[in-house]
This record gives sequence, C-alpha cells and structure tokens, in this order.
Amino acid sequence: MQDPSPPPIKKPLYEGSTQFKNWRYSHSRLAQIRSTLNEAAVSVIRTTFEAYEPGSSANVTFLTADEESLLVTFYATMITQICGRFRFPEEVEATAVSYLKRFYLKNTVMDWHPKNVMLTAVFLATKTTNNPISLEVYTSHIPKASASDVLDLEFLIAQSLGFEFAVWHAHRALWGIWLDLQSLPDTTSNSEATRSPVYTSAVSHVRSSRLTDAELVYTPSQVALAALSMADRDLALKWLKSKQDKLRSDADHSPNIMESIDNITNLIRKHGHAPDVEAVREVDRRLKLCKNPEKVVGTKAYLARQAEEDKKAEDRRIRKADVQKEATTDGDPFGEVLARSKPGLVDYDDDDDD
Amino acid sequence: MSRPNYGWLQGTTVRKSGITSSSSNATRSSTPQVQSTSSTVYGGGVKDPSGRTAEYFSMDDQCPVCRSDRYLNPKLRLLVSSCYHKMCESCIDRLFTLGPAPCPICQKVLRKLAFSPQTFEDLGVEKEVAVRRRLAKEFNKRREDFDDLRSYNDYLEEVEDIAFNLINNINVQETEARVATYKAANAALTALNLQREEAYALALKEQEELDRKEREARAAQLAHEQQLEREEKEREQREIIDKLETSQKDARQVVAKSRANAAKRLAAVSGSGKPSGLAAVGFGFGADYAKLLKTRTTGKKASNSVPDEPHIPLQDEWYAYDDLFVFKDGYDDVVSEAVRKDREGIMRAGGYMVEEAWQRALRSAVAGLDISPLEGLTERGVPEPTGPVDSGTDVVMVSV
Repeated sequence: MQDPSPPPIKKPLYEGSTQFKNWRYSHSRLAQIRSTLNEAAVSVIRTTFEAYEPGSSANVTFLTADEESLLVTFYATMITQICGRFRFPEEVEATAVSYLKRFYLKNTVMDWHPKNVMLTAVFLATKTTNNPISLEVYTSHIPKASASDVLDLEFLIAQSLGFEFAVWHAHRALWGIWLDLQSLPDTTSNSEATRSPVYTSAVSHVRSSRLTDAELVYTPSQVALAALSMADRDLALKWLKSKQDKLRSDADHSPNIMESIDNITNLIRKHGHAPDVEAVREVDRRLKLCKNPEKVVGTKAYLARQAEEDKKAEDRRIRKADVQKEATTDGDPFGEVLARSKPGLVDYDDDDDD
Repeated sequence: MSRPNYGWLQGTTVRKSGITSSSSNATRSSTPQVQSTSSTVYGGGVKDPSGRTAEYFSMDDQCPVCRSDRYLNPKLRLLVSSCYHKMCESCIDRLFTLGPAPCPICQKVLRKLAFSPQTFEDLGVEKEVAVRRRLAKEFNKRREDFDDLRSYNDYLEEVEDIAFNLINNINVQETEARVATYKAANAALTALNLQREEAYALALKEQEELDRKEREARAAQLAHEQQLEREEKEREQREIIDKLETSQKDARQVVAKSRANAAKRLAAVSGSGKPSGLAAVGFGFGADYAKLLKTRTTGKKASNSVPDEPHIPLQDEWYAYDDLFVFKDGYDDVVSEAVRKDREGIMRAGGYMVEEAWQRALRSAVAGLDISPLEGLTERGVPEPTGPVDSGTDVVMVSV
C-alpha cells in the first residue's frame, strides 16, 4: 500500500502544499499530458493555417511533445544564466525554473515562446520569493527586452500557475540534510573542510535535477537526498538510516525511498544536462514556421483575431454603457423596485400581537 | 417631482464670513446673549442634552420683513415661524398681537405662539430636526417587532420616505394622511414602544442611582475604616507610653512587642473585614443590573443564527516533522556564514533569525521523505485527469 495519507489527525505540512496537491505527477501522466497538449495544439494551429491560407499547412512539420520539452529545458538553462548575471539567490532561480516547467504543462511552446515566458517567469519569481527588482533595471540588463514583453505575459503565467506561487525546493532540503548530518553521532568528527567538496557536488546535482522532471514526480527531500547520494552514497545512506526508524513504522516504506532515490539518480544522470545547442537551434528554426499564427504579430490571423477581440470588447463596452444609461434614465437611481411587493403601511399591524 | 428649494428658507441670513468679521464681533458673538424686547416666552427650538436651547446668533442678522439689522438694532432677535420664515420680535409683536395673521412672506396663517428660537444657521436643518423629532415619536418600531430583516428594512424606508416628503414639502397632504393612517393602525404598538423606551430610560437612571449609592457606600466605609485605624493607633501609642511608665522592662522590647501586635491586627483586618463588606454591596447592584440587561436583550423571538467561525490558518494543526530531527543550538554552516558574521546586524535587520532558516531547512529536508511517487497510479492520482487540459486558462486551441 502506498497511500500517503497522514498519521492521526495532524496533516504533514508538505501534504498541505499546493506543490503536493496540484503539481505532483507520475512519469506516464506527464508524458500523456504533454502529448495530448501537443496534439490539441497542432490540430488547432493547423485549422488556423487552413482558415487563412488553404493548403498552407501541408508542408509544415509541427513540433512534437519531446521537441517542445527540449526547448523548455534549454530555456531553463537560460534562467540560470540570467539569475547569475543579476546575482539572484538560488531560490529565485529554482522558483523561476519551476514556474517555467509548470507553465508548459498547461500551455504549448507553439503559442508562447519560452524565450519570453522565461523572462517573465524570472521576474515573477523575484517578486514571489521576496527579492524584488524594479522592472526598468531588470529589462535594461537584458538585451532586446522591453517592459511590455515582461508584463504582457505576467498575468497569463500567474493564471496558468493557478496563482500557486509557493514552491518547495530541493536545494533547501539539501541544506537541511547537510545541517542535520551534524547531528549524526560519528560524522561530527569530520571537519568542515573535508565535507565541503561533497556538499558542493551535491548542490551541483540538485541544480542539474532542475533540468529534469524530478520535482514534478518526487518530493524535494527525495531529490536532495538523491543529489547527496550521487556525491557521497555512504553519507546519504547513513543519514537515511538514522531517519528510517523514526519515519512511519511500516517496514514496506523503506525500500521505496531507496528505490525512488535510485530512480532520481538515474533521471539526473540521464537528463540532467543542458540540451545540445544544435538540436535546439533546429527545433527553434522549425518553431518559427509552425507558431500559432494568431499569436504572431502582423500575420493575417493575428490581425483577424485582434479585430475579433476588439469587436468583442466594443460590444461589451456598448452593452455596459446601455445598462448604465438605462439605470440613469429609468428614474430611480437606486435600481428597480425589489421583487417582492412592498407591504403597505397598513400591513404593519400584523406585528401588533407580540 | 420638484427639486427641494431651500433658498427662501434661508431668509436673508447671509452666511457668516468668518474671516471678514472683525475680532471684536467675534468675541461678542461668542458670548451667549439672549436679547428680548418682548415678554412672550417662545417655546420650541432644539434643546441640547442639558435641556437648554442654544440660540443661533449672527452679526449679519437682518429682519426680512422690516429690514432692520443688528447695526441699527443691537437687540435684534430673529425668531422662526412654523413655515420656517424668520422675522424679528418687533415685527411679530406688530403683526400677530391682534390674533392670527398671514405670514408676510408666504401668506400662511400664523399665530404669535407658533414662533420659536432658531438653533441652526441653516433653516433646512432646523426643519429637518423638527420633522424627525415629530416622526420619531410615532414611528418607534424596533427590529424585534418584525419577523425578518426585510420587512424591517421596508419599514425604515417607508419612514425615510415620509420624512423626506415632509422636509421637502412634497405631497404634504398625502404624506400627512399616511402618517395619520399609520398612527391609527399602530396606536397600541406605538404606545407600547413608548413605554419600553421610558422603562429603559428609567432603568438607566436607576442604574446610575445605584452606581452613585454604591460609590457613596464605599466612600463611607473607607472613611469609617480610616477612623477606626486612627483610633487604634492612638490607643496603641497611649498603651506604649503607659507601659513604659509602669513596667520595668527594657524600653526597646516593649516597643517592638506592641509593634508586632499592631502588624498582626492590621493583617487580620485587611485579610477579612474589608473585602467582604464591599463585595456584598457591589454584588447586589451588579446582579440586579445584569438581570435588567438580560431581560432587555433577549427578544421575544429566539435568534436562529448559525455561529460563523472564521478559519485562522495560524491555529491549524499541522504535523511539522518535529520528531524527525533534533535541532541543535548551533551548526557548522557555510551557507549562513555571511549572515552570522555580520556584526552590525544589517542582514538581520528585518528580524531575520538564522535559527529559523535552519529550522525551515531541516523541516524541508525530512518533509515528504517517505511519499511514494505516483508512478502507475494515475487513476488515484492527485492531479485531475482533465485539469491540465480544461482548466488551462489560455489553452485556446483545446477549447476551440
């Protein structure tokens, strides 16, 4: 049984988080989401192409789900670069990467280019992690970025995230493990200097885990422990053993943790590196051709869409104005008479018998 | 419907321009002056809580009828008619001494006694206050008299309508008829409510009286005790002196012994006597008042309100993994070194405590360590199967 239901009454903190409730998937589920999203996007974009220029979609090769995630991964590495340039704390970087990944579980690359989404995700992350920076400073340090590029997408991203901005991070868990190691009886003799390289390497493994789906499948503490075990397996095992008897008493949980950690280790080894630039370039070149024309400024579809939206907005405005005019001309500025007929003054003697 | 027009109501009372009026005028106008050339006692006017009528008085007063002003006649006193027109006392004497006569401004028939002193600068306010006072006497229903809030609100709106009409002279006849109908229909309830009001006022008065009595009783008791104490002290002193005179003992011993006795007595008094008397007094009054309040607040109809308890997140019971780690007093930590070594405490200015950061890190190190991944359990999985596709707010291509 793998039910993660809490022990009596008190609910564990992590299980109250939105990360646990809404952003936890299995590998197969992730793959399914991405493929359905990709299929839906392709069909919609194809119809849009056909609607404006019949036959034009015949020789367009749309991106596959894998290619989409390749692009997202590439731009996740760009987040690291940007955060390095601004000297943002690690929390900002990790949060921004999480936002980027979560965003593309609800949207497609062919609608919103990750180049722009990434910029906004970082800006949003600075705010949600309490490391604010002014928009002018932010955009002035990024070539070819304007304030509107960042702001236009901000609400969309927040909406796609479901306004769930809090993220539990693996790097913090790693820090905690590292601190807690000092509570182990026999490791205290080790000096800081000898352990430091282990920590540094574990941190780098946590960073590369951000390029994988690890955080969407496993808990941050598991990812952190896996990163530590990649740096020093014995140390990680020793720490886990010290915790294991205090964790839930059922013995059948223990192998699961080790198994998860091995899985994460494999995941990081396999996917935890920046994608090949040439491959990305090729995908990006094709993306230019298969972008949703409604979202590309200047195309016919974009203009049509724009006109349609303007018309809708205009309709709404007119309707609102009508309602307002009606309200003012109708005589009673406080609105219609209430639905129930008002009892006359005489009716009050109903209450006489108290 | 005509717009209410207050122009005529204001008569010629030009609004006092406080800046232009000279300082000598200001001091004069601030002193209460009631100048009357007439022997007639005028009723009405709005009384303040102490029961006096503060009369409105301006240096720019001018009688709209005879055009005499305060400059010509320093004793000028303007009174307001029942049709809310002002005129000076000499004009009133001149026009109405021989019996009812039409108002020189609006031709409404007036009597001499229908004039009252002016309280407010704006006669519109004067009128509104009068109308509302009158209505409050008749329309004194309370929330308890209605079954639901809706009908009570309807009633209040009705009252407000009537007041508005009367104040602004809209359909006066019809409105008066409405008032009369209401009065006839609700005479019993009105009287009852009136009684209730009076009973409440009486109860308040009684309570005040009781409070006063209690205070007096306490003061008397205190004085009595002080008196006793003083007598006791004097007696002791006399005793000491007597003893010193008569006995052969050491003077210091005698003094010490009697002091000890006195202290014992004092302790006994403060321990028992004082509170019991006062408590009895206070308790009696308090209980009485509590009962009174209770009878007032518990209405005839039991309120069926459902307690709406707010959710306070800070009081939630969460399991914070406290048993999974031991928090040490200090850690050998590179990450937080800069903060801890910051001597001026600039980095800790906002109340940052490295211990809390450590604790948070330790918590997140053990949080969810034993949660298995969802692999192969998609049916039971936490993410809604349709969620990512349907609820995606901007996945336009899916919804098309």
